[in-house]
Amino acid sequence: MGVTMSEKKYTKDHEWVSIDSGIATVGISNHAQESLGDIVFIELPSVGKSVNAKDEICVVESVKAASDIYAPIDGEIMEVNNNLESDAAIINQDAENTGWIFKMKVSNLSQYDELMTEDDYKKFLEQ
Amino acid sequence: MVPFAGFNMPINYKSGIINEHKNVRNHSGIFDVSHMGQILIEINDLTIKNLEIFIPLKLKNIRKNKSNYTFLLNKNGGVVDDLIVSLIDINGKSNLYIVYNASRKNEDEKIFFKCAPDSKIIHNKNCLFAIQGPESFEVLKNIITVSKEMKFLDIRLFDYNKKKIIVSRSGYTGEDGFEISIPTEQAEVFLKNLLKNENTMLCGLGSRDSLRLEAGLSLYGHELNEKITPIEAGLSWALDKERLNDTKLNGNNVLSEQLKNKPSNIKIGLVSVNRTMLRDGMILFDNTKKNIGKITSGCFSPNLNKSIAIGYVSKEFNFENEIFCEIRNKMELVKKTNLPFVKKNYKKNGSNNE
Repeated sequence: MGVTMSEKKYTKDHEWVSIDSGIATVGISNHAQESLGDIVFIELPSVGKSVNAKDEICVVESVKAASDIYAPIDGEIMEVNNNLESDAAIINQDAENTGWIFKMKVSNLSQYDELMTEDDYKKFLEQ
Repeated sequence: MVPFAGFNMPINYKSGIINEHKNVRNHSGIFDVSHMGQILIEINDLTIKNLEIFIPLKLKNIRKNKSNYTFLLNKNGGVVDDLIVSLIDINGKSNLYIVYNASRKNEDEKIFFKCAPDSKIIHNKNCLFAIQGPESFEVLKNIITVSKEMKFLDIRLFDYNKKKIIVSRSGYTGEDGFEISIPTEQAEVFLKNLLKNENTMLCGLGSRDSLRLEAGLSLYGHELNEKITPIEAGLSWALDKERLNDTKLNGNNVLSEQLKNKPSNIKIGLVSVNRTMLRDGMILFDNTKKNIGKITSGCFSPNLNKSIAIGYVSKEFNFENEIFCEIRNKMELVKKTNLPFVKKNYKKNGSNNE
């Protein structure tokens, strides 16, 4: 289930996105999982749903609190990572790889181009 | 780190809430609870008479070297704070040693100083540590001469580096354990000595909350507040029933009436049916979507591997019916369960469990 694709990009809400043949894979950043702490439950988005960038589309529950996950770009949800239903802690172990959360069909590639590169995101975290 | 009652406190240390929680249940863990209030009150007939207006115990009859869970009550029988009151000798004089919540220091100290103007706050010069878990005794006995004769709620003074420290066999996790009040200048070396045991670890507020919730223990500001009486909170065992006939006790009439006729809300335990998280403030409904109560504490239970909660439900509700909790605009089925969620493991005389 590894994802090796286009350059990984990041949102200010700490999601990561990488794109392969018009399909974006999305998860939360390693920094996000560290600050959330132990993740115990995830409410996955519905497959087939059309979403706009910044829509709240699913919820991650850590022992501390519930956090919304936003759509990083416009598109349609194609697939969700069902492994997370039984073991949401995969996100803690491997947030930016096997801990991916959903895949979406991208409708507006220029939105992806506007996201932060890994270096930009690192700088953003240091602010 | 989070702000908590005027202090910056860690939610967890390096290994995370769930690891800290499990380490306390399986081995031991150490909590720095120095934020809590600690006061010494030298007792005489007048201070006892004054304190008995607020505290529903017969203070004259409490036993030396014993701790008691009790409350400060307001005029309506509501809880100003929940406390541990112990009777110990300090320099040959009988003192009440009281530990109280950090968030209630102002309210409590107003009462203490009104009742006993010579009260001595000691949390400015003493740290308070709690070591909790089945291996607590093993960890502590390498540092002070604690003996197995000391049982749950016993309290003693010990010498440590020529200073007096106050040690009680108590805590708020449902596990065996000790709480240690120690002068600040000795605190660091004491803590480092405890941590030499490689099976213990420092634990933060996160696991402190999940442990006390699994043990079904009430937390001030959640299950307890000025509008809730100890009887509504299911804590009538901590009241001296004879004191309820004493008109000098705050709220004695309200409490007597509630004891006879049941209070209007009942404290219950809840577990999630789906893997949803129950949180403080969520509203509870019956199957006709009628509001029947609310959750006062909720968390993920590492021992049960699902979400657990404590809440209050109207006594009119028929508990044979289903209960729903509104989570993000959806009605999720929850199940009522008995408290505690996890059996307590105190070292008492005769038996190990409550």
